[in-house]
Amino acid sequence: MTAHDMPKAPVIAEVRDLRVQFDSKRGNVHAVDGVGFQIRDGEMLGLVGETGCGKSVTGRAFLNLIPRPPAKIAGGRVLFRPRGGAPCPDCAGEGCEACGRTGTETVDLLTLPPKPMRAIRGARIAMIFQDPGKALNPTLTIGAQLAEVFLQHRSEALLAEAGVSPEETGWQANALRRMAREEDRWLDRRLKGLPPLSSAAAKLDAALDAHVAAALAETQIPNPARVMRAYPHELSGGMRQRVMIAQALACDPDLIIADEPTTALDVTIQARILDLIKTLQRKRRTSVLYISHDLSLVRRVCDRVAVMYAGRIAEIGTVAQVFADPRHPYTQGLIAAVPRAGTGRGHLASIPGSVPELVDPPPGCRFADRCAHVMAECTRANPVAREVAPGHQSVCFLEKTGQTAAPATSEASTT
Amino acid sequence: MMQQRLSEKSAQRKAGDTLLSVRNLCKHFPIREGILQSTVGHVRAVDGVSFDIRRGETVGLVGESGCGKTTLSQCVAGLTTPTSGEILFDTGRGGPLGQEDRIDAMPRDRYRTYRRNTQMVFQDNFASLNPRELVIDCIGRPLRVYNEASGSELTERVVELLEQVGLGRQHLYRYPHQFSGGQRQRISIARALALDPELIVLDEPTSALDVSVQAQILNLLWDLQKHRHLAYLFVTHDLSVVRHMADRTVTMYLGRVVEQGPTETIFGNAAHPYTKALLAAKPDLDDDPSVPIATLEGVVPDPARPPKGCRFHTRCPVATPDCGWEVDDIVRLLEADETLFQSLQGVARKTDLEAGLTFADETAAAALHAALGSDRVPLAMRTATETLDLNGKTVNIRFRETEEVSLTDRGEGHQAACVLGRGGQ
Repeated sequence: MTAHDMPKAPVIAEVRDLRVQFDSKRGNVHAVDGVGFQIRDGEMLGLVGETGCGKSVTGRAFLNLIPRPPAKIAGGRVLFRPRGGAPCPDCAGEGCEACGRTGTETVDLLTLPPKPMRAIRGARIAMIFQDPGKALNPTLTIGAQLAEVFLQHRSEALLAEAGVSPEETGWQANALRRMAREEDRWLDRRLKGLPPLSSAAAKLDAALDAHVAAALAETQIPNPARVMRAYPHELSGGMRQRVMIAQALACDPDLIIADEPTTALDVTIQARILDLIKTLQRKRRTSVLYISHDLSLVRRVCDRVAVMYAGRIAEIGTVAQVFADPRHPYTQGLIAAVPRAGTGRGHLASIPGSVPELVDPPPGCRFADRCAHVMAECTRANPVAREVAPGHQSVCFLEKTGQTAAPATSEASTT
Repeated sequence: MMQQRLSEKSAQRKAGDTLLSVRNLCKHFPIREGILQSTVGHVRAVDGVSFDIRRGETVGLVGESGCGKTTLSQCVAGLTTPTSGEILFDTGRGGPLGQEDRIDAMPRDRYRTYRRNTQMVFQDNFASLNPRELVIDCIGRPLRVYNEASGSELTERVVELLEQVGLGRQHLYRYPHQFSGGQRQRISIARALALDPELIVLDEPTSALDVSVQAQILNLLWDLQKHRHLAYLFVTHDLSVVRHMADRTVTMYLGRVVEQGPTETIFGNAAHPYTKALLAAKPDLDDDPSVPIATLEGVVPDPARPPKGCRFHTRCPVATPDCGWEVDDIVRLLEADETLFQSLQGVARKTDLEAGLTFADETAAAALHAALGSDRVPLAMRTATETLDLNGKTVNIRFRETEEVSLTDRGEGHQAACVLGRGGQ
């Protein structure tokens, strides 16, 4: 998909005015403070910003993985419309404002009860974590960890392959069903190897192994059969990240949250992992929220980019728009601070000062005290998103005062 | 007193003459196994490395993780004893560097001069500062160890150092955890500057920092170098930082230097395929986003048994028959294929270049024989094969003899260890 036909794709996920606060001894830390953006079907959206700007918290909000307490959701919604989901209850699939004209039901991930959330987590929305060494369980083999995804979300398919039909009753079928859902009891495990159950249980295990091996092979892991039996410490960093990607893609999700997936890797391995993510994303038309601090990387792999600063979005637009014509002073500073081929040696343009404290912050633009273009109104009120070009918004007062101000369109006001 | 010492030292300092020389340095770590912990092999972290650092220049050292760049920097800083080879340091003895300047053979007073003139800044700024020490103790410790200052003079010296790195008197009585990552790295730099060294070894000084903070630290390092005529050994995996900071760049792969030269030459006209691959893999804000990122296939071989010849030949996209193909390359090939590897019974090695591989059955041997003649192996490897015959369950193979691949001159201080473009070819 190119950036050109992007606006036609339906919006698959949307964050509206998300506010996450953390309790601390010194007060409320406003980690995410009114973040809003949309992710369209099949698009790769980059979320860039520095440490502590709230990009990871925003990403984790999609999977309801924010620890509450100490965090609390002070407002906002994270909406998600799974592909092929139930029809929208308001319009019965006709397409209305509430479902973004898709006709599918919209769920608010922040208020979803635990059980439906578990059905989405891993199956419809998956996550690739930064450090595969920490995200994988060191006491389980790779095969056992990948099997969990299938046992959680694909137990019907596994049972069908083991020859257990949904109508079948009796203790043997029930025992197999429990095994396929990872709810097996002590007695089930004892009976698993004995004749009445053993052949069906072996078929179930074989089906599971086949699924796991296929998932590993998808990420170009050589020799999946050997990797399945290995423990995480036996694999290299790049290989572990491939396993994480295999796990995330196992159930063919609609949305992947990739939280700095290559930060812990070498450049040569990073290039291969990026290539893999991009190829699989194109092939399956999965949407990706790509969280990173590396601007040059986001520029290479993403379709659109949102720049975050101190818990807020500073600028959002297509990669071409933001990198060719950065409008927010923070984006400009960030791009200038990256050493690159074109600039000579000597001083880099650095942003003076440091990131502000987010404990009960005063109103106004968060970047005001480091900004070269600071004006009186910057510290009085919060800036609002202004459209500077179709699909390109900058959250800055500079856009209002003139040079190339454009009125906010309906596109801007919906977010 | 400080001012006096500085001017006295800068009179001695002449830009351009060699400050430190590393010659044929090796650092091998033993692999121990079993109850008796007997040595079964060696990880050759650094295996025959030579380069010079001149006064006032920045040498960038790049490579993937595990290539030995951190071990090398620790040897240079005197934190690890090398297995063999020499490190020569100019302690002001006068004359060209010679055997008397070896840091492991120096008299005690000159060794102290070397130690105080070579300081280090570590990657993890949190782990490298004692969490129970105040900033004043931490930065003041080198001054106290070398009896440079005490009492109120020490405090003033520390304040002066803090101001040089962009901090101030108000930070004297704080603990490391009260600072941000960028500020802690500034404290590490102030500590390294305390004794006014000639050389600072910077081991990934900015890789734990954000871009905007990284820019501030790089600017600080740049200013300090201009002001104090410091030499830097800048160890990093980030090529854009090296291009920005270094006068000369050294690329390492599996414990060996594969290419070194002026930074502009390395980045503009790299001669070694590994340097080219590293450069191509790193996205830059100035490159064309429509060109896909070039990837490098294969994995870094085990440094306990590095490949013969050019160590990069197992992954090299432009490998030639002269790159040092050997029996181990077939073993590596077999390891990737589980069924064949399991039926392998033994490798009867006559030399590194000639061996007979025995399999449990004839089909496996035939499969290997067929694979070695097909395009499942690189063309260069097939061309380097002198004899390949199948004898029942045994495959006999012999590779042609090749010369050792060493660094050769490519003009203007540029050296590369690659058979391509080597003199006479």
